[in-house]
Amino acid sequence: MSKNKLPNGFINSAQKCGLDTILMQKALIPHLYIESNKIISAQKISGLKILTERFQEGVKIKLVVKKGTLIKKPIFFCFGILGEKGKQVILPEIILERGAEAKIFAHCTFPQAKNVSHQMEAKIKLGKNAKLTYQETHYHGENFGTKVLPNLKILIGEAAVLENEFILDQGSVGKLKIILETELEKNAFVEIISKVIGKGKGDDIEIYDKALLKGKNSRSLIKLRGAVVDGGRMFFRGKTEAKAKNARGHIDCREIVVGNSVAESVPIIKVNHPEARITHEASVGKVNQKELETLMTRGLSEKEAIDFIIRGVIK
Amino acid sequence: MWADFMKKILEVKNLSVESIEDKKKILENISFDIAEKSIHVLIGPNGSGKSTLAYALIGSSRFKVVSGKIIFQNKDITKLSTDKRAKMGLTLAFQEPAYFEGITVENFLRAGNKNITQSDIEKILSLVDLEPEKFLNREINQGLSGGERKRIEFASVLTMKPKLMILDEPDSGLDIIIYREFYNILENIKKETKASVLLITHREELGYIANQATFLNQGKIIYSGNFRKVMRKYCQFSGRKKICQKINCQMDL
Repeated sequence: MSKNKLPNGFINSAQKCGLDTILMQKALIPHLYIESNKIISAQKISGLKILTERFQEGVKIKLVVKKGTLIKKPIFFCFGILGEKGKQVILPEIILERGAEAKIFAHCTFPQAKNVSHQMEAKIKLGKNAKLTYQETHYHGENFGTKVLPNLKILIGEAAVLENEFILDQGSVGKLKIILETELEKNAFVEIISKVIGKGKGDDIEIYDKALLKGKNSRSLIKLRGAVVDGGRMFFRGKTEAKAKNARGHIDCREIVVGNSVAESVPIIKVNHPEARITHEASVGKVNQKELETLMTRGLSEKEAIDFIIRGVIK
Repeated sequence: MWADFMKKILEVKNLSVESIEDKKKILENISFDIAEKSIHVLIGPNGSGKSTLAYALIGSSRFKVVSGKIIFQNKDITKLSTDKRAKMGLTLAFQEPAYFEGITVENFLRAGNKNITQSDIEKILSLVDLEPEKFLNREINQGLSGGERKRIEFASVLTMKPKLMILDEPDSGLDIIIYREFYNILENIKKETKASVLLITHREELGYIANQATFLNQGKIIYSGNFRKVMRKYCQFSGRKKICQKINCQMDL
């Protein structure tokens, strides 16, 4: 089967992040690959519309999955800058019409970054009964040289489902600031999971996740699994606000701090309806001593044991 | 003594240990040996220092050796870190094993031996009476029962192919039916591995598979040597006639 034009720099980093690069390179798999502001490769399929518009610093994208369309194959996005310097702005608008279903695997990579900025302003809208799985993995190289600022506003229609997962667990982070806001109509559900490991003092991570439960029976789960090692900083704010009957939300945060690092967690829960309920749990602190000691009795060094524990938590 | 004629795997010489946290002395002038391929029982009342001795032997950072030496396979390991001791073949199965978020049983077992084959992993799980197909992909979280977690802890220690494994009260917190199964597991381990075992226990009945024993009280050794002789001392000390009858001590209390 013929291949698409996914560049080696993207392939290497996608492999590091455990993605299926064979599938990503298939010519007929639905995809959109952008380096800086250049569209390297794109593939539409029946029921999926992808429109792009280049501008000086990036690309504006409109992706529509048409009413009732079930896209079985994953849709791959790859965005990034392969050089040491540069700026990329991505402006996606993703619409899943009524009853549509899709899975998007997005991979953002800046493998050589020393002074790279990536901004994203995304708007996502899920129609009634639509379902979107959106998994985004990042690789920012090893030089702490990126500034990545994604900003997502998501409307989840009646009985629609969004499963969103963000993973950055390989290489350095640099500056990362994610702002993700969701609004849910009745019977809608959202799951927002973030998994990030900061590796050093050049890593400064801020994650702001929000679920506004507007419709009755709407549900949300905001979950963070994070670790900061050797001088990194991580700030997490998960906010859930319930405004309707039987709305349910939960915020679950676990951050591990190793060495001279700082982690902060601020769960905010607000209930405006007597029959709504939101809960939260959070733990921020050092690696569990018992877990560490157990692994050391199995022959792992302290560093290997900490890494093993963090990988488990992030997984 | 029996151990005197056997090759020693571990020699503890005049060991005194204190807690790092409050600098309280917990063990004082402890000396005993463990023979190769033997099962050595460490017995004593609650708070006697049995677990502390186990932690000191593995080099836990929570305790400090104030004086004395630990010799393992003729090498002084007193100042070695826990992982280095483990790499030499000295390890511990914890009394209350830790849980690991996101880690499967298989990954946990492989942590102790990266080169272990799949069939060896399955064999070891069967040895501790766990069905591999049911447990390999289970996460080591609170969804496991206490007994299952203890068996996994055993299995993890066994994957390392250790030379000396310390089992810290493997029977604690288990109901009577399950702890009897542990007898069988211990017997299996004794048959299948060439490892020596230091078995810390409250249940004197477990001692029937032991070669030697050490009786510890208030951080000091009361007696160390042949299992029955040690138990005799233990009976005298605790006044528990039933124990003596059970293990047929033939003693005059």
